[in-house]
Amino acid sequence: MKIVRKLALSACVAAMFATAAHADAIKVGSAGGVTGPIAELVATIIKGRDLARDQINAAGGLLNGDTLEMVVGDSACDPKASVDAVGKLVNVEQVVGIVGPSCSGATNAAVQAVTIPAGVVVLSDSATAPSVTELKDNDTVFRVAPSDAYQGLAIAKLISKAGIKKVAMTYSNDDYNAGIAAVFEREFKAMGGEVTANQAHEPKKASYRSELQTLTAGGPEAIAIFAYYGSSGITIIKNSLENGLFSKFYAADGMFDQSVIDQIGADNLKGKISITQASSDTGDSSYQAFADAFKATGADPAAPYAAHGYDATFMMALAIEKAGSADRAKIKDGLRAISNGTGEIVRPGEWAKAKKLIADGTAINYEGASGSADFDENGDVSGVFAVNVVGDDGKWTKALLK
Amino acid sequence: MDQQLYGYGLYIISLLTMGGIYAILTLGLNVQWGFTGLFNAGIAGFFGIGAYTAAILTTSPHTSHLGGFELPYVVAAIAAMLISGIIAFGVGKVCLKLRSDYLAIATIGIAEIFRLILKNETDITNGPRGISQIPKPFENLPEPWNQLAFLGLVLGTLLLVYVMLEVARKSPWGRVMTAIRDNETSARAAGKNVETFRMEGFVIGCMIMALAGAFMAHYLKFIDPNATDPLLATFIVFVMLVVGGSANNKGAILGAFVIWTLWSASEILTTQLPSELAIRTAYIRIFIIGLVLQFFLQKFPQGILPETRPSSPGKNKS
Amino acid sequence: MNEFINFYLIPGLVLGSIYALGAIGITMTFGILRFANFAHGETMTLGVYFTWSLVQFTDIHPLLLLPVSMVLTVGCVLLIDRGFYKPLRNSPTIILVIASFGLMLMVRSVVQFFWGVQLKTVLPGIQMPIVWFDYLRLSPKHIYIIGGALVLMYAVHYLLTYTKIGKAMRAMSDSPELARLTGIDTEKVVRTTWIVGATLACAAGVFLAVDTQVDTMMGFNLLLPMFAAAILGGVGKPYGAMAGGLIIGIAEEISTYPWLGDLWQFNPGYKQAIAFFIMIIMLLWRPTGLFRGKSF
Repeated sequence: MKIVRKLALSACVAAMFATAAHADAIKVGSAGGVTGPIAELVATIIKGRDLARDQINAAGGLLNGDTLEMVVGDSACDPKASVDAVGKLVNVEQVVGIVGPSCSGATNAAVQAVTIPAGVVVLSDSATAPSVTELKDNDTVFRVAPSDAYQGLAIAKLISKAGIKKVAMTYSNDDYNAGIAAVFEREFKAMGGEVTANQAHEPKKASYRSELQTLTAGGPEAIAIFAYYGSSGITIIKNSLENGLFSKFYAADGMFDQSVIDQIGADNLKGKISITQASSDTGDSSYQAFADAFKATGADPAAPYAAHGYDATFMMALAIEKAGSADRAKIKDGLRAISNGTGEIVRPGEWAKAKKLIADGTAINYEGASGSADFDENGDVSGVFAVNVVGDDGKWTKALLK
Repeated sequence: MDQQLYGYGLYIISLLTMGGIYAILTLGLNVQWGFTGLFNAGIAGFFGIGAYTAAILTTSPHTSHLGGFELPYVVAAIAAMLISGIIAFGVGKVCLKLRSDYLAIATIGIAEIFRLILKNETDITNGPRGISQIPKPFENLPEPWNQLAFLGLVLGTLLLVYVMLEVARKSPWGRVMTAIRDNETSARAAGKNVETFRMEGFVIGCMIMALAGAFMAHYLKFIDPNATDPLLATFIVFVMLVVGGSANNKGAILGAFVIWTLWSASEILTTQLPSELAIRTAYIRIFIIGLVLQFFLQKFPQGILPETRPSSPGKNKS
Repeated sequence: MNEFINFYLIPGLVLGSIYALGAIGITMTFGILRFANFAHGETMTLGVYFTWSLVQFTDIHPLLLLPVSMVLTVGCVLLIDRGFYKPLRNSPTIILVIASFGLMLMVRSVVQFFWGVQLKTVLPGIQMPIVWFDYLRLSPKHIYIIGGALVLMYAVHYLLTYTKIGKAMRAMSDSPELARLTGIDTEKVVRTTWIVGATLACAAGVFLAVDTQVDTMMGFNLLLPMFAAAILGGVGKPYGAMAGGLIIGIAEEISTYPWLGDLWQFNPGYKQAIAFFIMIIMLLWRPTGLFRGKSF
């Protein structure tokens, strides 16, 4: 019996010594829901972060040639696990800053319980709840993902502009989708539109036929879907198409993934579906630079928040470079300095160029794959959105929303 | 290096704090399963009720959820326990006559229903978006004193609960409980009202679980329906009790600290790997906890600290 | 009426068939091995992932690959029994239940480790349903699922009624002591129970995957409704499980029908709770279930 306890303790001690081994790497936390409800999304987001890391290390690394090391912490999209994982990143791994966590709930808990008291900067790539804006955080909490408030509005505008007055809506009952749905309903009604039916649904169910049938009441012209593609989105579209219930779909970026085309078929979707996504407003070159590199690693650049993961990591590294040292207290100023709308533009993949500019003392402005990433006073970014439709080539085609 | 040591210190404080909260939770389960023989697989539900009650009663007014009472922590904790007790009474009336594995299924179902209520009654709970900015005792103190003070509060409460349960265990009430657990027919024949005793055990256990939930809400400063997830809120508590020693309060506490440390520290090992592997090995942590459980169930079903029965008054110690 | 049948009743039948197949395994384990097997959902998940791998290698339709994946799944389940349940054969029920809880998590993490958590599919593309008599909309895959389920249920019926081992299983379910006295090889009965349960679970999982997609949580998501179905039908009674599964599947799907028109609608967020409500009502009103299974 005592053996188990001794084993556990010695494992801990061994681990602690092991963490001291990487002496000339600069550690940044990579927190995310590796296990949990959005595990498949998070796996790709982490790949996005790692792409940034690899490009940075290949182009000279941080400061005086130190390697950037991204230390993974599993927040499991759960407040308890998140506080534990982020606590370890801050205290045991002694990270300089943290990219992530993925879920708004996990972020809320981790920053309030751990990083705000500790004064460590957190840059989330996918937490979108408005509640994060309201935190009293001593300016340590940032995000590259626009708050739901923006995306909900963008979709409402998109549908209104298409001349559609009556819409049914359904949302997956989780923090992300419930949030956007609420904003959408409010904004769409404010524009004079009518929401004929609004129903939550539990993710991961086998069939949504009955819900969808009920949602057709009132004669809606389209359906707005706020869900993750994997846990309910694809099933909903399949059920709708197979049974002739809906033929026009609008969705937020949780739905945006290659598997939607793969599993449903491009011909079945052409002209029928529009998915919004946060985007860079300096045209496509930022996104293209990221997409080409990401595709080369075998991953899908369209995956939700993969581009944000890349941007967040790149920006954290820029902040460290700008701060001139791996000092936690200087990161927040560094972050604001490298992306505030003024300065010479730096894009994804241009680490060597950025390093030189910072060394020369020139101001830089990072324009990311996911958007301009300019922080406001709360550490939020505003949203410029694009809409994705299935083009003639059977692939996702993107156009900026005006 | 100074910074690193300080970091380890903070980490150990967090291990002890979470371990302490889980210890309170495990003590609650011990009352139900260890002493009364009730297999309550709905721990997560009562835990969640305690957490949400504490959150709603202590937060400032907010548009997204019921709140604004801004009551003191002690009042909120007591209210959490009372509400949990009342709900436990209702659940007990329905479920307690069921045999062990039926009770397990029924209580899991009840916990799922609680979770769905928490998710869907958004006016009260803000649904899946959760309740944020929950106040925390001592949070205005500078680091590390805020964490230390909170830890002190948790450990102090743990001690209080432990002492009270030990007193109860050695009392005539406690003996009747174990008698019922071991041989219900004899206990009934001796004239004991089995249903009442079972209900008392169930309700008290649920009240203690709610207390743990309240502490968790304050510690994390945020709560959402994911807090009632079956893995981290129910299964892990059973592992803690089986490993530590069921029907032994010291064992319950020991099991909680050991298993939580194992769980948390195992991640430190997996993060040494590159990201690509680290993601996959995250699943192995769960596998290892499951394996530890199987090992104990087969080889040491009594746990690390087996049950000790109180000796009868006036009898020679054997 | 048209919509009711096509969008509520038929999906309910499909879902119910899947529940029924899974519930038979659960109820037999309950009756013969005398514990609630929480790892049964993961047996389904295993079956699905084996099938998915086979589809990747051979490009054959998943339903045709079922016999192969059944064999693989049964193999795994027998190994699990050997390693984790057999040592606990004589332990109290609770210990077995906790062990099965642990195995549920272990099997799921193994699947996640080897296959990853990305969403997969065994049958890409959408299948437009065939419209019969201008009234019924039935997709071919639904016909396969309901048909396949009926075939399998009949096979179970045949096994239990006409074969020697089936009679032994029924005997052991009713009274293990008497069964042993009459010289029945209890370990053989136990093995057969696992084999039948795993085969049906594999089928149920693959049917579900064909209807939706492949996901590591799919078994667990079905687990509690399957338990509810087993209890509803009467624990230890396979026919009860079949009926219970169908009832719960249909009840879940028709719950969102606007019975009262615009007046009030059942919040679909609570759809999952239907199974539990039915189960709890059964436990209160008639604990032995519809077919008078085990009492306690």
